[in-house]
Amino acid sequence: MLECRNCGAGAPVDEHFCPQCSRILALGRHGDYFAFLGLPRKLLIDPQDLEQRLRELSRKFHPDYFYNASAAERLASLERSSYLNDAYRALKNPVSRIEHLLAIEGLPSARSEEGTAKVPPSLLEEVFALNEELDEIRELRESGEDSEKLLARLANARKPIDAKRDEHERQLQELSARWDSHLASDVAGEHAPPAEKRATLDALRERLLERNYINNLLATIEREGSGLQAMSPER
Amino acid sequence: MSKVVGIDLGTTNSLVAYADDGRPVVVRDDNADALVPSVVSVGEDGTIYVGREAQRRLLTAPSRSVYSVKRFMGRGIEDVEHDAALLPFWVSGDRGGVVRIGIADREFTPPEISAFILRELKHRAEEHFRERGDFDFEVDRAVITVPAYFNDAQRTATRDAGRLAGLEVLRIINEPTAASLAYGLDKRNRGTIAVYDLGGGTFDISILKVEDGVFQVLSTNGDTHLGGDDIDRLLVERVLAEIAGPKEQDSTTVEAIRRAVIQAKWDLSDIEETEIRIEPSPTAHAGYRRAITRADFEDIIRPLVERTLEPCRQALADAALQPSDIDEVVLVGGSTRIPLVRRVVEELFGRKPHSDLNPDEVVALGAAVQADILVSGRREMLLLDVTPLSLGIETMGGVVSKIILRNSTIPASGREMFTTGVDSQTGVDVHVLQGERELAADCRSLAHLHLGGIPPMPAGLPRIEVRFQIDANGILSVAARELRTSIEQTIEVKPSYGLTDQEVERMLIESFEHAEADFEARLLIDARNEAEAVIAATEKVLRRPDFAALAAEQLEAGERERIDTALADLKAVIAGSDRAVIQEKTRALNHATQHLAEVTMNRTVREALAGRNVKDV
Repeated sequence: MLECRNCGAGAPVDEHFCPQCSRILALGRHGDYFAFLGLPRKLLIDPQDLEQRLRELSRKFHPDYFYNASAAERLASLERSSYLNDAYRALKNPVSRIEHLLAIEGLPSARSEEGTAKVPPSLLEEVFALNEELDEIRELRESGEDSEKLLARLANARKPIDAKRDEHERQLQELSARWDSHLASDVAGEHAPPAEKRATLDALRERLLERNYINNLLATIEREGSGLQAMSPER
Repeated sequence: MSKVVGIDLGTTNSLVAYADDGRPVVVRDDNADALVPSVVSVGEDGTIYVGREAQRRLLTAPSRSVYSVKRFMGRGIEDVEHDAALLPFWVSGDRGGVVRIGIADREFTPPEISAFILRELKHRAEEHFRERGDFDFEVDRAVITVPAYFNDAQRTATRDAGRLAGLEVLRIINEPTAASLAYGLDKRNRGTIAVYDLGGGTFDISILKVEDGVFQVLSTNGDTHLGGDDIDRLLVERVLAEIAGPKEQDSTTVEAIRRAVIQAKWDLSDIEETEIRIEPSPTAHAGYRRAITRADFEDIIRPLVERTLEPCRQALADAALQPSDIDEVVLVGGSTRIPLVRRVVEELFGRKPHSDLNPDEVVALGAAVQADILVSGRREMLLLDVTPLSLGIETMGGVVSKIILRNSTIPASGREMFTTGVDSQTGVDVHVLQGERELAADCRSLAHLHLGGIPPMPAGLPRIEVRFQIDANGILSVAARELRTSIEQTIEVKPSYGLTDQEVERMLIESFEHAEADFEARLLIDARNEAEAVIAATEKVLRRPDFAALAAEQLEAGERERIDTALADLKAVIAGSDRAVIQEKTRALNHATQHLAEVTMNRTVREALAGRNVKDV
């Protein structure tokens, strides 16, 4: 519940303007980007609809339109516009969208440090193979092996990791769709079992942790590759 | 109601525009010239000259004249040493602090110099409104444009300059975005636009999406140290190398060369071959002439022009677009008149760029539109711009932790938690940076914050939330509070390359003290200008081939003598600083020539009519 600082009327937390005096409301401590944009907590969203909402709400809150307003209204406009832009940015990207959902559903962050430190079990095999290959490539590089050949080997070593990432993207899509179907049944009144919802969220979080790990691996390969390229004779 | 204007504060030229019933108009002088050269010169008597007059003084008093001051805005001495080598004025300053510009015995900061230019523009606009007959012609509010790639310090310096010029800066907006607003006026269409803006000192590329009247910037990139100035410098260096000799390096010669190469550069936008020509000067140099073809010129400047390509590619990548996704390319800035620049842009985007609007004026027009939106409450159009550079803070080991990423739509906010390292610690220092690099040493230092007043607690227990807010100007503000006790913290902000509020206040007071003197100086200049005009008109009549006949026929005895005396009297006082005397002698000359003017006019009219039929008249 928000309180209008102009007329003192109460307003629901997701309202932007006072229902009584129609002045812009101070932001308060809002935490839900979906609700702020008037969206259900669905993961598969239409990017054009999202943009449309950004434009519509910008036209309501933007500081340009509060130039002659009171200091309190100007501040409210600045805060709401900033929050709107933050919300748009977070929801536009599918991964940060999932991260935000996990946060508002009360799960620990998938970005935390300990998440990326240990190898996710499902990746053990690939990581082991990759590290062996990278060690060998480094050794050969030291002994003056032709960098073209090594680059080719590196490209080969990358393939299983790329395949894993594609697989992950697919799983994230699938889990996102599953989450949305839970929501759809909630709306239809056939409430999805909370345990199932929770299981889907946990699975999403697992995938995100693995994804971070895969991206780190790919970054390592990139670094190795540019090191080799710098050594290529034609450079 | 006092007036609002839009100002393009450029490296080479500045302009002012306003909106007349929603339609933007550029303010021009009596010669229909809208450009005010961004040159400031200080006379021996302390008079400040701005614009064309200051530009003329670059040749006669180079060490008292400053140009391209925009390059110094929000910068430190270590950034500009390279530029300073060929400049006629001297720059100094402490490392990691604001640049100082020295003229004779006075020292100015770049915002103070820019404020002189802004004051001139304000004055121009006021004259225009006054002549138009507006009751309240005072200009007290403005939207000022900056390169999109300007960092926080450069934006803040621009805002400070506005304050020093007595303007309330309603908004700082980005030049390419302003240009798109001017272009978007007539066409209410939608699409993806690339604005390529190569000006006197800076390069910007912005990619925008226009839909429902909302101009949403998707990405921006650029180089705040790349423009026509750099082209000029390359050419000047070439010429200097050819005529080198210790006495040729003096600043008068460098200025003469600079003027000559600029003329050649302009020529080569229209013709295939021209000449760099410097007239011999008795004091300094022996003169110089050299033919230059467009192909030679393009070979010299190609590396500079190609430096614009990487920012373009980066902006496209950040917007997740291919060159073929761009529906329209708009050219802004005087340097886009160069054919090579047009070719390079056309090749990159695979389409002919637009340049229907004057590339020198389009930014000021857009600024006027934005000013109008702000004060009139018009809602047809809305700009959603982005912050060009990531904002971060220094963490352990000198690494930067990013808080607001580049190309985030503004206003934008970010927060970061801090705590204490030792028991009962009551203050925390935070180093705020801007840039894309990993290490603090490679990013731009914006400010050092000191959070004070933390209640004494065991180490690690306080939870201090610092909130970073980038407003619609792209300018940062910071607030902090301790979450356990909810005590608002005090924050001291020490800007790295900017003026503190106290410094701006002090300069403002000084400028009020000078305001009277400045006002006097302006009246003096106006009086001299009027005197010059009367002298020129008189001499023109005296030079007429038929003057002898006219005098014999029409002038009274002693009239010619009275005119000659009045003319000599006025010429004797015009260079002096006594305004009343100049005005008195001007009136005297006007009076002495009144009869002459009448007979000359009658004669001219008779001659004009002589060859015509009555019905043509």
